[in-house]
This record gives sequence, structure tokens and C-alpha cells, in this order.
Amino acid sequence: MNRVVITGLGPVSSIGIGKPAFCEGLRAGRSGISPIRCFDLTGFPHVCAGEVHQFRPESLLRRLTPSAWGRSTLFAAAAARLAVQDARLDTDQVDSGRMGVVMGTTCGESQVAEALAAEILKHGFESQSPELLQQAPGSRLAHGVSEELGATGESLTISTACSASNYAIGYAFDCISHGEADVMIAGGADSVCRWVHAGFFRLGTLAKDACSPFDRNRSGILTAEGGAALVLETLDHALARGARPYAEVLGYGLNCDADHMVAPNASSIAACMRLAQGRARIQPSDVDYICAHGTGTPSNDSVEFQAIRTVFGEAIPPVSSIKSMLGHTMGAASGFGAIASCLAITEGFLPPTINWSTPDPEMEGLDMIPNQARRAEVRIVQNNGFAFGGNNAIVILGEVV
Amino acid sequence: MIPLAIGGWSVLSSAGIGRKSLVEPLKRGEAGTLDYGRKVDGLYQEPLPTATAHALVDFDVRQILGRKGTSALDRRSALAMVACGQALEDSGIHVDDSNQQRIGIVLGTTLGSLKSMNDYTRETLVEERPYLVNPLLFPNTVMNCAAGQAAIRYGLKGVNATLAGGDLAFMHVLRYSANLLRCSYADALLMGAVEEFTPHSAWATRLTKAASAELPAGEGAAVFVTHQNGGGNDGKLDGEILSVTTGFTPCTEGSAGIARALEHAIRRTLADANISTADVTFIATAETGSAEEDCVEKQALTAIFGSQMPHRIAVKKLLGECHAATGALQLAALLTLHQENPDLNGRISLICSWMPDGGVGAAVLRGRSRGGPDHR
Repeated sequence: MNRVVITGLGPVSSIGIGKPAFCEGLRAGRSGISPIRCFDLTGFPHVCAGEVHQFRPESLLRRLTPSAWGRSTLFAAAAARLAVQDARLDTDQVDSGRMGVVMGTTCGESQVAEALAAEILKHGFESQSPELLQQAPGSRLAHGVSEELGATGESLTISTACSASNYAIGYAFDCISHGEADVMIAGGADSVCRWVHAGFFRLGTLAKDACSPFDRNRSGILTAEGGAALVLETLDHALARGARPYAEVLGYGLNCDADHMVAPNASSIAACMRLAQGRARIQPSDVDYICAHGTGTPSNDSVEFQAIRTVFGEAIPPVSSIKSMLGHTMGAASGFGAIASCLAITEGFLPPTINWSTPDPEMEGLDMIPNQARRAEVRIVQNNGFAFGGNNAIVILGEVV
Repeated sequence: MIPLAIGGWSVLSSAGIGRKSLVEPLKRGEAGTLDYGRKVDGLYQEPLPTATAHALVDFDVRQILGRKGTSALDRRSALAMVACGQALEDSGIHVDDSNQQRIGIVLGTTLGSLKSMNDYTRETLVEERPYLVNPLLFPNTVMNCAAGQAAIRYGLKGVNATLAGGDLAFMHVLRYSANLLRCSYADALLMGAVEEFTPHSAWATRLTKAASAELPAGEGAAVFVTHQNGGGNDGKLDGEILSVTTGFTPCTEGSAGIARALEHAIRRTLADANISTADVTFIATAETGSAEEDCVEKQALTAIFGSQMPHRIAVKKLLGECHAATGALQLAALLTLHQENPDLNGRISLICSWMPDGGVGAAVLRGRSRGGPDHR
């Protein structure tokens, strides 16, 4: 079994594009929330989201022609390009058949699907553009990354909604640890779109202008977008080429609530934490920081806290939600969580939960790192990801020793 | 790769429902009397590109599973849920508190339901207030809805994964499943793939596929139960997936590049299974009947098998263009041959998949004839 390390980080986010800007955004507790530009807001009571206004795919991508791909794939491919650059990995020096890609997503090319819906509404089914139809499948996300990097190994899109990046990191970890690949690019991507904004509003779980996880008055999520990618390789491969690993993937856990499509389940989430910790061969007391799923809905945060309390008892490590800054980036969310976790380990700080003001009496004993980042020595991080369909996925990352 | 032992399966397609439903289409295929689907006018209010298509026109999930928990399901979730339930029943596995944490689902899709996504967007555009969408239908817009719903219905708390692989989805499902069992993340898995027939899928096929004139859109779902310790509870095997390979080639290489990548994937998967070309009895292909599309597969297979081409089974010609469900239907067709003819016990088959944007995949099956009474 090979040890698997993370050597490159590629965030394309509303608080910063590329590792240095993203890291600075986390440290500063920056908010990436702004009024929505990508669709007509007429009639919507809530108008904010975490769009990546600064995203210029043509300035980041080397091989993909942006007009031929949907926005989510462009996020994924740009994130992958940044991750490879951050890893100082010369892809020409890697056996391309032993380099694979696993990307997670919730709604895939949602903006493409919406453009098709508009075409159908205006001029009928037969008027749909074949080019847009070809851009719609979820498989395009991984294939776009493979195309951008010239990777000819496995190219897989995992569509397990909002925990999909953690599934992707887990699968990439297994492929490398069993010797099936030398390098894997793992992460996820999603785009802000009209129907998801409307759907969350209708569910009563969309915040107005700020996402405030773990606050007594939290009112929900803000939809968001972006791409998160990480370079995973064997420790030997990394050391042989002189790379500096951020963290080691210690293990992961997956399970399913099999209970409700949208409501989370505390005992199932607690079971998933135990699975992940067991796989990583660590005890709860080894965890220095929990990068929470922390969506900011009343139900998620309460259920997540209950599960943490069940597993960690009175000794709960600091827990923060980067969704307070980014909004809910859906399929990219746990990928951003993994990137933040790597930075916490190597840079020695805990990202804050911003927009926090009022303690929730039900969450006594919770240190959510309110509003300001904190210096800390971090060796082991638990990165939580939960999703519609009860698809729970938790990844444990550790300092490379 | 550790072989994936299959004990229990089911299939739904335009040809019907259940393990016996592909017997007739396969006979017709052998006789060269293809069927161009069912009359689909009246299935939807929206216009359809063809009057006939490979739809399961009389499918009504409420008749099969009852009304409880089925009213908000979209078509692909309903198809998948029925296939999962029947495969589980066929496997003989009884799900209870003692094993439900260790039984999971791995399901392949193209993008979930384009109809569910589009209907939702449409509501936001035509309603007086754009947020007056139906909250009960919101989960249908997410790609993992079918697997999540099936887990709820059958109480499966193990790993629940949805893979958006398009035409290659089922190859990914096999690889992902093999990894889960190898690493002991699960003891048993329902492995399947699904595609629905809707105006959206039918038009997407019509407008993007060269062969769509001869090959209308179809729909289907097939689910197979694999067990860490061999076949179903009775220990009887339907078959074993000995190896699976997937890969990608940049589209700058064109169709010749995809053919080379497919050839490479097939050679590798045969080598991984320790199978020589002479041992292959059947190939379940992704042929459509369009020379323009089929040249990729033909080139790859000819390079490997030359004039000693094994017998080819072209499920798309029998069941329509079923995209993500295709691979699962290919396996279901092969297992049907074994089920119907015990003399084939132990024979080797190859399953091929490829996509125009550069994805390729292949799997090797050793078919078994488990015998015993059939459930349906």
C-alpha cells in the first residue's frame, strides 16, 4: 500500500483564485457573497450568491477552448491547471496513462441545462443547439480536466451532490494507494444557476445576504460556485521529484442515511465520522480541527453538532465553516474544505466562521472560530461532507511525518 | 482486480421487465428482424422526434411498488428503484439491522434527469413568481436522486454513489464497485445504470447522434448484485466480472485516436483477466448501425481479433440508444444468454464502451448458468 500525499492545490473561488489568494481570503475572513449577475433576478426576494466574477478561463487554461465547454467544466479544468502548477508537476514527465482524474459535482453543467430549457421554451425542442446538448453530460467535468492536462488514465465524474469532492478524493486515494495510478487530480465543480437558487428558496433554506453557520439566528445557505482541485500522488513519487507535500490522506468514510432525501441524520453522520476515523486509524482525540459541512441551515448545523458531540463527547476540537465565506459551492464544497484543511496544516491557522454573532444554546461547548482566523498547530483535520440523498463522505487529512 | 461475483440481477427496457425480458429481443436480433420500438405518441404532451422509440410505454411505478414513496419520483428514479428492488429480491439477500450498513448502491447516469432539471428551470421562467417551484420535486433535479431514493426504500445504509459517466457509466460503476469491495468498504453492492425516455432525452439523441434516424432513443435500467463472498445468498453465480479498464484520449486525436485508446483498453482488460483473444465467445458491443459511428469500435476490434471475430451482440440495435444504461444492458444481454443456455457455462465475453469525447472502457465477463427456478 502506497502512502498518498497532496502536493498541489487549485482553488477557483469567490474569495480568491489560486492558492495564495484563496489562503489570504481564508485568513482574512473574506466574504465572496455578492448580488447575482448570471441570471435575471426579477421577482426573486433573495438576490445574493457566491459567484466567481473574476473567473477568466482563457487566462488560466492552456488546451481547452472555453467556448466549447460549460462553465462547471471550465471551473474544474482551471482548478486542475492551477493545482498542477502549484504542485510544480510537469505533466509531460508523468506517464499519462498513470495520471487520472476524479471530479465531483451536484448539478454538473447546470447553466448549460438552463440555456437548453430557455431554447425549448422560446422555439421548441427541435431548436436546441447540438453544441449545448453535447456540453451537458456530467462526464464532461472529468473529461475536460483530462483533456486540459493530457491525462489518459481513468477519467471519472462522481455526482453524489454536495459531498462529491470528498468521494473523489477518497477514490483517488484508493487508486494511488493500490498502485493503479501515480498521480490523480481530484476535486469538484458547480455553477450558480436559477433553478437551484429557486429550489433552496422554496425549501425555506436560502439566506438573504449572509450565511451564518452555527449562529442561533442562522437562516440558511447561499448558493455558490467554483472549482476545487487537488493533486494527489504517492509519497515516493512526490519525494522523487522534490515536491513538498501539504498533507497525507489518512483515510475516508462513506455511508448513506437511507432516511430522507434532504434532511440530514445525526446518527448516520456520527457513524460516518467513526468509519472515517477507523479507516484513518485515529481516535477522535487526535483530530485538531473539523472543517465542517456547516451549510448554515438550522437543521444541518444542529445535526452536525449533535453528531460531533456523539463522537467527540466533551472534547470537541475547533469546528469552522468556510461556507460562511464562500457560500455553498455544492459539488466543489468538500474540495474547498480539503484545500482549506491542507492550508490549516501547513500554514498553521484555523479558518474562521464569519458572520457569527449569537451563540446557539443548543451548541454549548462549540468553538466555531468566530469571525477571525486563529493561529494554531494543526496535525490532523476531519473534512466533513454531507449531501442530498444522505450521501455522507468524510476525509481525514494529516501532517506528513 | 478481485473478480466481481454477480448473484442476482434484473433489467427493465422497452422489451419489458425482469430476467426473462431480453430473451425475445435477443432471438429477434439473431434472426435479423429488428424491432423499431413502441408507439410513443401519447406518452408525453410535448412533441417527440419519432413516432416510435424504445420506451417502456406502459411503465407505471405505482402499479409495481404502490403509491407510498413513489408519487414524487421522476422516471429515471422510478426505473432505477424497480430494478434495484428486483435485483435485491433475485439475490436472496434479506436486508436487516445486521447487514444494512454494509450494503450499498453504485448507479450510473448521464446527468440525472434532463427533464427534471428543465422542468424546474421552466417553472422559474413561466410562473408569475419565479420561486413558485414545487419543493417536493427539487431532489429530482440532483443527479444522485435515484440512488438516494432506492437506498431509502430498501434500507441500504452502505456506500451510496452515483457516477455521471454517460455511455461509459456502467464501466465506471464496475470499477468503482470493485474498489469498494477490494478495500472492504462494503460487503454487497447493487451495481447498475439507468436512462429514462423523455422528450428531452429523445430530442437530445436526435440532435446529437448521427445514427438517430435508424436508432431512436430508448430507456432502461439494469442492476446486478455483487457480493464480497461470491454469489447471492444461495451461493449461485450468474457471472463474474474478471476485469474492467477505463481510459481517456484527448479529442485532438480524432476518431482514430479513440479507436486506438479503445483497442488499448480492451487489450489491457483481457491481459488483466489473463484471457487470450481465442477464449472470447461473445462481444457485447456499443454498435449503433451507423457506419460513421461504428468505425471506432470496428477498428479497435479488428485490430485485436482480426478475422477471428467473436459473435457480436449489439444491444443498441435491439433496445435503442440508452446512453448511460447501455453498459448495464450489454451485461444483462450476456447474462440472458447464459441463463437460457447452460452449455455456455464458463464462457468468456467482452463488453465494449466508448464516447465521442474520448472516454473508452472494456470489461471481461465469465458467464455462469446458475440454474434453479427463475423468479420471473
